[in-house]
This record gives sequence, C-alpha cells and structure tokens, in this order.
Amino acid sequence: MSMKEELLQLQETALAELENAASTDELQNLKVRYLGRKGPMTEILRGMGALPAEERPKVGQIVNQVKKALEEKVKERQVVLEEKALQEKIANEKVDITLPGRKPGCGHLHPITLTLREIKKIFMHMGFDVMEGPEIENDYFNFEALNLPKDHPARDMQDTFYITDNFLLRTQTSGIQARIMQSLEPNTPIRMIAPGAVYRNDYDATHSPMFHQVEGLVIDKNISLADLKGTLETLCKELFGDRVEIRLRPSYFPFTEPSCEVDISCVICGGKGCNVCKHSGWLEILGAGMVHPNVLKMSGYDPETMNGYAFGMGIERIAMLKYGIDDLRLFFENDLRFVRQFR
Amino acid sequence: MLASINWLKKYVDIDVTPEVLAEKLTRVGLEVEGVNVLGENLEGVVTGKVTHIERHPNSDHLWICQMDYGSGEIVQILTGAQNVHQDDMVPVAVVGSRLPNGMKLKKAKMRGLDSFGMLCSATELGIDAKLLLPEQRSGILILPPDTPIGVDIRDVLGLRDTVLDIDLTANKQDCFCMLGIAREAAAVLGKKLNMPAMDVKESAPGNIADLLQNRIEVPELCSRFTNRLLKNIRIMESPEWMQNELRACGVRPINNVVDVTNYVMLELGQPMHAYDYDKVAGHTLIVRRGGEGEKLMTLDEQERILTPDMITIADAEHAVGLGGVMGGFETEVTKETETVILEAAAFNGPSIRRTSKALGLRSEASLRFERGVDIERCHLALNRAANLLEAMGACETVPGIVDSYPVPYEPAVITVTPAAINTRIGMEIPAEEMIRILETLEFKVEVKGDALVVTAPSWRQDVTCDADVSEEVARMYSYDKIPSHRPLLALHQGKEDPREEVKDRVLDYLAAAGLDEVLSYSFIHPSFVDKMLLPEGDYRRNCIKIMNPISDEFGVMRTTMIPSLLKIANFNLARQVESVKLFEVGRVYIPEALPLTEFPRERPVISAVLSGQRQPLSWTAPKAAVDFYDMKGVVEGLLENLQVDGVKLVKADQPHLHPGKSCALELDGHVIGYFGALHPTVADNFDVPEETYVLEMELLPLIPFATHVPQYTKLAKFPGTSRDIAVVVPESVTMQELEGVIRENAGSLLREVRVFDVYTGKQVAAGSKSVAFNLTFQAADRTLTDQEIDPVIKEVVAKVAEVYEAQLRK
Repeated sequence: MSMKEELLQLQETALAELENAASTDELQNLKVRYLGRKGPMTEILRGMGALPAEERPKVGQIVNQVKKALEEKVKERQVVLEEKALQEKIANEKVDITLPGRKPGCGHLHPITLTLREIKKIFMHMGFDVMEGPEIENDYFNFEALNLPKDHPARDMQDTFYITDNFLLRTQTSGIQARIMQSLEPNTPIRMIAPGAVYRNDYDATHSPMFHQVEGLVIDKNISLADLKGTLETLCKELFGDRVEIRLRPSYFPFTEPSCEVDISCVICGGKGCNVCKHSGWLEILGAGMVHPNVLKMSGYDPETMNGYAFGMGIERIAMLKYGIDDLRLFFENDLRFVRQFR
Repeated sequence: MLASINWLKKYVDIDVTPEVLAEKLTRVGLEVEGVNVLGENLEGVVTGKVTHIERHPNSDHLWICQMDYGSGEIVQILTGAQNVHQDDMVPVAVVGSRLPNGMKLKKAKMRGLDSFGMLCSATELGIDAKLLLPEQRSGILILPPDTPIGVDIRDVLGLRDTVLDIDLTANKQDCFCMLGIAREAAAVLGKKLNMPAMDVKESAPGNIADLLQNRIEVPELCSRFTNRLLKNIRIMESPEWMQNELRACGVRPINNVVDVTNYVMLELGQPMHAYDYDKVAGHTLIVRRGGEGEKLMTLDEQERILTPDMITIADAEHAVGLGGVMGGFETEVTKETETVILEAAAFNGPSIRRTSKALGLRSEASLRFERGVDIERCHLALNRAANLLEAMGACETVPGIVDSYPVPYEPAVITVTPAAINTRIGMEIPAEEMIRILETLEFKVEVKGDALVVTAPSWRQDVTCDADVSEEVARMYSYDKIPSHRPLLALHQGKEDPREEVKDRVLDYLAAAGLDEVLSYSFIHPSFVDKMLLPEGDYRRNCIKIMNPISDEFGVMRTTMIPSLLKIANFNLARQVESVKLFEVGRVYIPEALPLTEFPRERPVISAVLSGQRQPLSWTAPKAAVDFYDMKGVVEGLLENLQVDGVKLVKADQPHLHPGKSCALELDGHVIGYFGALHPTVADNFDVPEETYVLEMELLPLIPFATHVPQYTKLAKFPGTSRDIAVVVPESVTMQELEGVIRENAGSLLREVRVFDVYTGKQVAAGSKSVAFNLTFQAADRTLTDQEIDPVIKEVVAKVAEVYEAQLRK
C-alpha cells in the first residue's frame, strides 16, 4: 500500500470512528489517538524520511489534508456531543418545584399602622402636615380650649380616664387643635392632621378603652363646609374607591359649628342595604364641622377674618370597613394569626 | 329620648310613615337610632271578662275560666295564674291569635280538660316589665273594670303606635320633649305646630299669694322658681291614654299626680315636682344652698348629707328637697294629701350636674336641667299640669302663680349677613329662604340693610352666634345641597415630623426582618414592676396611676414596653404559634414627679420579643429555638439600617434580664437600650419560655443618624485578597478581644475580619474553643501579592498564640 493509500485509509477509519464517538471523552481519546504525538500521523510523518525527496512535499500535503479533515471532524463532533451532553444533563436535572422555598422571614405590619399610613399619605398629598401631641393631656387642651367648660353636659359624650383633677388621658385628638394654634403666630394658616391613640372609659364588644384617631384641621380665609365636604370626599374615594359617595348629616360637637357626621355609601353592599349598614345603605365614619368661633378666639385667632374646618375619624372603624374586620377587639388582642393576614 | 308617634300627632299632622319621618328628622340633626313598632306580631288578642272561675279538679294550680270576649259564646280557657277572679277584665289570646314571642295559639288539653286560648300577662303582650307597677309584673294583666269586651288589646293598651328612639346630641335641649320634636317635625313636613291645652279653671277660692310664698336666695343657682297650688286632690290612676303614652316613652305610670308631672316634663321639657302643702312648714319654699352637714331624707328613703354646692329647697324650718335632683321624703304626695304644691323652676345646669353625679342620682329631670330648660316655660308647665289634673276631676286650682324671677330673660339677638352665612356654608342660599327657615323654627328675623337681625326663641339657648344661625339655615336647607369642592389654598408640601419618618423606617425594617407588629394598650397591671423584679428606687416603679381605671389590669401607664409584649407572646404561644417574633414601637410614660404636676415625658420606644422557634417548621433548616444571636442580629440590622454608628455593647445589669445573656446598648456614653434573654424568674412570672429574648431601645437618640444622608466613598480599584486562619483560645476569650489582637497585628492593609466558625467539642481541649476567621486585605494603589501578605498572617497567628498560648488547629 502506498503511503497515500495508507493515509487515506487512515482518514477513512478515523473519520468513521470520530463520527461514532458517543461522548466528548471518547472524542478526546480518539483525537489523542489519531492526532496525538504518539498517533499514526506522527509515525507516518516520521516515516517520511524514507521517501524520495520529490514525493515528500506531496505526501506532506496529503498528511496536512488528512490532519485538517480530522481536526475539523473533531471540532464538528465536539459541538454535537457537547450539545448532546448538555441535553442529557438537563434531562436528568430536576427539582421538585412543589417543595416550599427558602423564604427570608417576612413579618407583618399591624392593620392600624397600614390604615394610618394610607390616611397620612392621602392627606400629605393634599398638603397637610402631620403633627403629634401628648396622650397624657390636661383638662384645658382636651376640653376647655375646645369650648367644653367644666360641667358642660357634652362632657358626657366621652367617658374620661383621669390621672389627677387636671391631667387625663386624652379622649380625642382634638386637643392638638388648640396646641397648634397657640404655638403659632395668631392667624397663621394651618393645614394639618394629627393621628394618635385616644382613651375612653368604655370597654365592651364594640368599645375599646384605647383606640386611634386622626384629627384634621384647616384654618385659612373663607373656608367653607363645601371645602370640608370636598376634602372628605377625596379621602373617602381614595380609601374606598371612586364609587363611594359621602353625605353629611347635621350633628353636634362643642368645638365645631355647624357640625356634621359624615356617612359613606356602604362599602359592603354598595348602598343597597345589608347587615353592616343596618339596611340604611350608609355607614357613619367620621365627625366634622366648621371650627367654632369660640375655639378660634380662645387660641388667639380672629374669627372675623379666619375660619376653618376640623374633622376627626376613628382609624379602627376605617380599618374594619377596609379589611372587612367584624370585631374591634381583634386589633388589641394581637393574635398573630390575625396580624399575619395584613400587608 | 323616646318619642311616640301617636303622641307627636297631637301637635303636628304627620302624614308620612314613621320610617320616612325618622329619616327626615335624622337629616336635620335628630338622629333616629331605632323605629320601634309597638304590638309587633301581636294579633288577635282581645279583651274578655271572666264570667265564672273554678279550680281544675285534677290540678292544684290550674283554674278553669269561662270567658266572654264578645264572640257571642262563652269559651273555656284554663290558666295557671293565681291572680284572676270572677268579673275581671283580662287580655285573651284566642285560638289562632299570635303573640310577640312568635307563639301561635292552638286549642290545648291540660290535665284532661280543653282550653280554647290563653289569658295573657303584660310581658306576654310584649310590654317591658320595668314599665309596670310591681303588682302588674306577675300574673295575668288585670284591666280596668270599665274596659269594653271584645276589643283588640292593642287599642286598649296603646300598642298601635310606633316609637322613635332618638339619640339626642347635647345641644338639642329644645328637643328633649315631644313639643320640641314636634316642632322639628312640623318644620321638615311643612306643617303647623299645635300647642296643647293650657287653660286653667282656677275654681278654688282665694289666691295663691295668700297661701304660699317662695323665694330664691341663690340667683346664681336658680334663675326662676314658680309654684301653683292644687286643692282637693284626688290621687288615683291616670287615664289609660296617659298611661299608654307614658309607657310608650319609657316611663312607668304610678298615680295621676306623679304621672302628670312626668307627662308635662316629657311634653314640654320642664321637669316638675309636687309637694304636700300641709307638710311644708310655714307654707314657704326657699331656694338656698345646703348647710354644711345638713341632712335630708330623699324620696328613695336614703339619708343624704348636703353641702353648700347643692341646690336645696327648704321650707321655713328645714330642707325638703334637692332642687332638680330629688324631692324629700317628708313632703311627698301621698294618698292622704289634700293640697299639692306644683313646682316648675330653672336651676343652674352645672350645679345640677355636679350634685346628681356626686349622689349617683341622675334622672330624666336632672338630665334636662343639666342641658338647660326654657326659662320662659315655667308658667306653661304649671298651667298644663293643672289643666290635665282638672280634666281628670282630680283637683281644684287656686288662682294665681307665685313666681320668683330675679333677672328676666334676655333673648339672644344675633346680627349676621346672608353673605357671611353663605361663605361659611359654601353655597348661595337666598336671603328670603334663610328668613323662611328661621321663622319656621320660630326665630324672629328683622332685615336691616344687608344684615339679618335674628332673635332666638327662649328655648334655643344654644343659639348664640352667627355660626349657630348658619347651622340652623344649613341643616334645614339640607346638607345634601352643599356642593363639594376642595379649598383653594397655596401649594404646600405636606410634612411630617422626622421622628415619625424614622419610626416608619423602623417598622418597615423590623417587619422585613420577619417580626410581626403588635399594638398593645398603654395601661397595664401595676404588678408588672414586681414581676420584672424591679428593685425599690428603679424609675420604672414610678408609674402614672389612673384614678378611675376599668380594672387593675388597665391600672397604670406603662414605664416599659416589655410586659405588654410578653403578654402578647404568652397569648400566642398558648395558641400554638411556633415562632413568636413581635415588635412594637410605642410610648412609655415617665413622670417627673408623682402625683403629676407637669406633663410627663412620653418616650417612643422600640421593643421586640423573640420566643419559640427561629422559624416555622421547614425542610430547609433544622428545628432550632431562637437564641441570643437572633436578637442581636435584629438589633445590629436595625442599627445598620438607620446608619447608627458607635453603639457599644456593655454589661446590662438589668434585673429582668439574664445576667450572662444580655447586654446594654451604649451610645455616646448613654445607655439607650437593652436586649437579651429574660431572667428565668421573670420568664416564669410572665409564663413564657426561659429562652425568650427581649429588646427595648429608645427611638429618639437614633433620629440624627437615621436622617443623615450617606456620602459616597470611592470604590477600591485593586482586588483584595483574603486568608482563613483558625486559632484555639480559651473559651472565655470574647470575640471582641480576639479581633482586637488580630487587628493590632495585621497592619494597615487589613480591611475586614469575619468569624466563620466557632467550635467547641471533642476536637479541642476542654475549656478552649476553635475560632476560624477570614481576613481580607486590600491596598488602594496595587494588587497585593502573597509575599506581602504571608508574613502578616504568620505574625498574626504567632501573636494570637503568644497572647492566648494558643496554637493553630491541625
């Protein structure tokens, strides 16, 4: 057999073997066997010395061709086999996607916090500042400065926890009204809300001795009940959705005149009437009114030039409506199975 | 306030259903909370006469009654009641009738005899026992003998009525009576208001001026005191209609004199009192202050000790009543009374409020005085009462009224412009409409140029300024017509106190770290100071006490958050919550001194509790209880999140914490909080597991750090290189000490020291531990080489070994 034939024979065998290589490992072995230093190609090249000089380039050329063909084949097979190996690997790799994940611990905020945050956000977007006041308040700010002198019958509206004859647990966040007005230059415009805990001596299925309120106060020139209505309408639509309607009902608070209760169309039945709204279609959610001239006067504001509105709402009440909670006591019991329902 | 529709119809033509009226009244400020239909589900019960009664032969308590209820035959009905006699008139539930409790009457057999119906008690007819005389409360309701036979019982007992339950606001003292509600009803229905009959015959001889004197010694406590004298009094039952109306409005009929005083109070809002004239010494009534220690036996036969704060009515000799609160026992009207003094007065509201509260005697009368009565209504009340008693044939009235009225009433006159009213309401109500509304409510209105001069009626003492007039106009014009718009105010960015913003960040961080937020009451049981083992002198023992707590459980304002959280932890652990991780940012209340003379400090505090499992049962991690480092991690994470720098951990020395597993957080030399395991005794006291970890930390010192805006530092250009070393040291060596030694000897290129393993056990000697560190070195200007680092590592290891006689782990 001529060297050429030998080479072509070798090429044929090698290509067939490479073609049949079943794995990249096998392919590598074949590559070493045929193209490696100890392979037949090397031997053939070594044997070239015995050839006549004029044949050497010819054979050399064939050797290079064979080498190139084999190398290309190796490359080609390498791609195919790698792909095959990848497919096999993927086919064999599997997780049970139904096993629970490694979840970083995730806690929950209390529904009162969540509700309060929402209310704060709505008002801050409308340009209201958020203020705070003490929970241990004195008689003056909690009552007297709000047009509620001692022995006024309206003091019965709120059963008060007393600490001394003068100090008490605030029964309403309204005390902040006078505090803020008196801390400012007389007649400075005000736009603020003041959230916080309040306390009343009343404890049963529908009353908690501590609960939370948000007080609101706007004082400026030419403020009207219509402004109050618009502000509260914005609040209610933001909280409960655009379809909610509000209505004002005349009521009484010593520190506002005219005063009103604000009802929203029932968020449960949409106003058709259900158990939650006692078949009236309306839910009472907050009290409001125009700041009483006496309150302005007592805090150094001139009721002839400045006026305003005030409102106060119970956060628990709003949270109950928002989340469909039917028992006030749940908020303070802190059963984690309850708290963990909110986010 | 209960208002019977039938009663209201006496003054105003009500041509709408009670529900519609209720809604209309609610929309003008009289909130109707309930519309109660009397005699609901009461059907087919009629009046009947007992024509014969005998004992049941086979029973020792049943009676056989032969009843005539107008059906044309005598019907046999059995009863177990023992108060029925021959010829009694009683309510009969005939076969087929229905009772309010849902019962439908059928023929029954009792001990072998047929019963074709049932005789009824008042409660079976749905009448509240409180509204009945004691003798009417048990047994069959015996009706007056002149009751006609066969009449629907609802007509006899006034049960074809509907009662509005009105939640009266404190300013609506004018509506604390039928006439006031009727006036509002007339206004909303566009009807005329009819006044009740007030004419008095005055048929007794003589004149009251010769028979009775009265005088006010304390005009500051009593602005008017008026009396009428009624002779030849006949005490008897009131007519059925009056009893029915009183009952409908929640008042128990007693006898005609008492009933009339109650009736006039409900009708006109003027409380009244009646005295036995012959028992009033000197035939004189004096309004004065109580003497110090003066005694008075009140109507309820209780001896009361009077004080100068109490409005006292006295005769020529001694106290005979507490004005507006309760009359005296001695001058009470009895069956023997011949002559009655009626009283209608205007007492000072705050004084009545104090007295009735002090004595626990708050009544329908005192509540009306507290809110203020119409001073101009005294005469009307006296006349109306005399008129009613005369109509019953129960008295002859002595001509005249004695009237002490030191300072005549001046009506409030308010000048207001329609423009000002409209500005306040935010709409354009025409002036004529305002005038119409005000006149409907019996205000007098005079137009003076642009302004309205409005005079309030005497019963509207709540109306004193233009805001009040605006409300009258707005509520009657309808709040529904008020447009809705937002105030046009200068642009303003809503701002919040930075401490609130930081508080929100704390809440968010702790929730993200896997803790659940709770909300606890600020008042707690005072025993917590002992349960927490706080020693005498600990500031937390000085709690602000509530004078009138609901119970001891809510007795004092907390000075620490820990007890509140432990209570919640206990509650949840008892409910099989396996991993309890809680936090609250709340206030503690620290007084400067007790009793409180100035505002206490209300300090916001971050608190947390970890107890039970580190995480809920999971296949991804072994079951493990929380430990010190869980809480420490929460604290470190929080401080890092708030950018708080320089907090040092020092020994805690807190009685409620485990001394070996707790520490204090020190910032700038001040302790700002503590965390660690509970002291085992404290854990036991609060009934939580021993391995319960608590944190309490002040919020305020963190604020300046948290609000700091972080400033960028350049990122290193050259890679760092890191090496692990392990050293064996005595177990007592703290990580801080060890790290100190390392840092001291590792040169300036050392960037970070991280512990990645702490081992005690078989492979190290007892009393020692193996600690593995990863050290990172980095230079700002070059990539470090082994030649630079290797000697440093060698030096560090050698120094640690030298200091702790330690050796490298094999």
